[in-house]
Amino acid sequence: MRVLLDGLLRNRKALVGAIILVLVLLAAIAAPLLTQYDPSARVGRPHQPPSWNHLMGTTRIGQDVFARLLYGARTSLAVGFGAGLLITAVGTALGIIAGYRGGKTDEVISFLTNMVLVVPNLPLLLVLAAFIGQASPFVIALILGLTSWAWGARVTRAETLSLKQKDFVKAAEMIGEPQWRIMTFEIFPNLISIVGINFIGSVIFAIITEATLEFLGLGDPRAISWGTMLYNAQKASALSVGAWWEILIPCFALALLGLGMSLLNFAIDEVANPRLRTGNWRDRWILLARSGEGRL
Amino acid sequence: MAFLFRRLGFYLAAFVAAATINFFLPRLMPGDPVQIMFSSAGAELPPESLQSLKLTFGFVDGPLWQQYITYLGSIFTGDLGRSIKYFPAPVTAVLGQALVWTVGLMGIATVISFTIGSLLGVLAAWRRGSAFDVIVSVGAIFATSVPAVVTSLIVVFVFGFTLGWFPSGYAADPRLDPAFSLQYIGSVLYHGFLPMVTLCAVLTGGFAVTMRNNMINLLGEDYVVMGRAKGLSDHHVMIWYAARNALLPTVSSLAIAIGTILGGSLVTEVVFNYPGLGNILYQAILARDYPVIQGQLLIMTATMLIANFIVDVSYVLLDPRLKGAL
Repeated sequence: MRVLLDGLLRNRKALVGAIILVLVLLAAIAAPLLTQYDPSARVGRPHQPPSWNHLMGTTRIGQDVFARLLYGARTSLAVGFGAGLLITAVGTALGIIAGYRGGKTDEVISFLTNMVLVVPNLPLLLVLAAFIGQASPFVIALILGLTSWAWGARVTRAETLSLKQKDFVKAAEMIGEPQWRIMTFEIFPNLISIVGINFIGSVIFAIITEATLEFLGLGDPRAISWGTMLYNAQKASALSVGAWWEILIPCFALALLGLGMSLLNFAIDEVANPRLRTGNWRDRWILLARSGEGRL
Repeated sequence: MAFLFRRLGFYLAAFVAAATINFFLPRLMPGDPVQIMFSSAGAELPPESLQSLKLTFGFVDGPLWQQYITYLGSIFTGDLGRSIKYFPAPVTAVLGQALVWTVGLMGIATVISFTIGSLLGVLAAWRRGSAFDVIVSVGAIFATSVPAVVTSLIVVFVFGFTLGWFPSGYAADPRLDPAFSLQYIGSVLYHGFLPMVTLCAVLTGGFAVTMRNNMINLLGEDYVVMGRAKGLSDHHVMIWYAARNALLPTVSSLAIAIGTILGGSLVTEVVFNYPGLGNILYQAILARDYPVIQGQLLIMTATMLIANFIVDVSYVLLDPRLKGAL
């Protein structure tokens, strides 16, 4: 853990990524201080280009884009981290249980995991969201968490299988430690870098997917988030009427946050791998593919 | 052979799982499932058509298992019901037409980005730490971290609206009749160019990263060192000793990526108003055309499973150790 933190502090990718993340976080927290406008109120004339009064222009119905961007960051971050946490928790738990218990438990969990992996994720989410109808950001986070854990489970299971053979686990078994204790206190701490990569990858995935679902019109259009900003702008044909600010600004915000999180992810991978990498190298590309999986 | 049969069995199970989700979703929602499924039909549908639609989706009098069997029965006989928005067109016809565009777009973009990405990855790994490697790696991180929606919107803004170099909608000039003429094919290529480039931009980075990491893992292997010790040329060792072996795990990562590719092409099609599955799905969502939305999930799952199977087969063909398996 110490080594990991030390390495991260010295890694340039990690530094840039962390700075981006902190900036977005601060902007989200300090939203009421940075703008005097209510993000959902009509505060100006429609489709005003950026000016001193409206730093990033106004939407078709005269809302302030800058205010919506700041308050929208709260939604994106909350959904991203909430869903990311859920995805990682479910994936890690299932992976460790399958890997450590083996036998029938493993067969059932692995079958389930492989099944979830081959059903295309975005269409499945679209069908779910379509039936729920105008899903709020909270509901989106929930369904993301419950449908996207398969990657984490597979990678964690593979790593648990190799850890299970290690002496310290054997020793704990000899002493007679209960299974749940071995899984939580012997195996889990040794998976921390994988869990970290899985978590950040899942946060990126959740942020992007929430925005995508909302862009496609499956979110609650009254919610204030970067996805609904894109949806409303697209519906108002912002590009064809020349109101580029309405569409490009949330685009850049999403790209920037995605980039920051990816840099963090790659940095953790770089720092953690040479030390912790003991399993076969196949797991490594699975992890890297996972970190790129967020692109939809 | 046994391996491929086992995979086929698994894919069949996965397809049934997707159908099961379709079956239970409307029934799990609060309220009357029939009402939910066909509320948008309103008075537009003649009563006898509504009756046959209900039958297709298993809304028959009887216990749940009987409804389930009825639904599976209609799916496996190729009956996905009729679209409410494009009534009376059957869902299979609506989706079949769109599928051609999507598979074309996806297929060509996958081949192009896989080839370019793998080549970049091989070269970057071979010159690890060089300026070229840094540019490829950072570029790949950037490309993989930007959502497909964002890439598509920016591309359509710059090249479609601002510069006006390419059209920002349709698969071909709507004034032309589809025909095997030079003019029509040219129009298809012209209209497909931007979505294709966008999809390639979204996908190439991921393949480059995968290939680069596989290569780096292999460069320390004894047989690579042996190749050099034999005095073979750099290029020969790079391509025939390292890259050839690194290609195997890259191909299986392709199977993993298919879901991403499918998702990416959905979004790209919506932004570019391209008449593929993504656009049909978008229109269906707006119109609450549930038969089409549900049919989409099945068609896309089937597409993904077929693509996975192709990857399985090519893996067996590429790996000499599995030669007996086919």
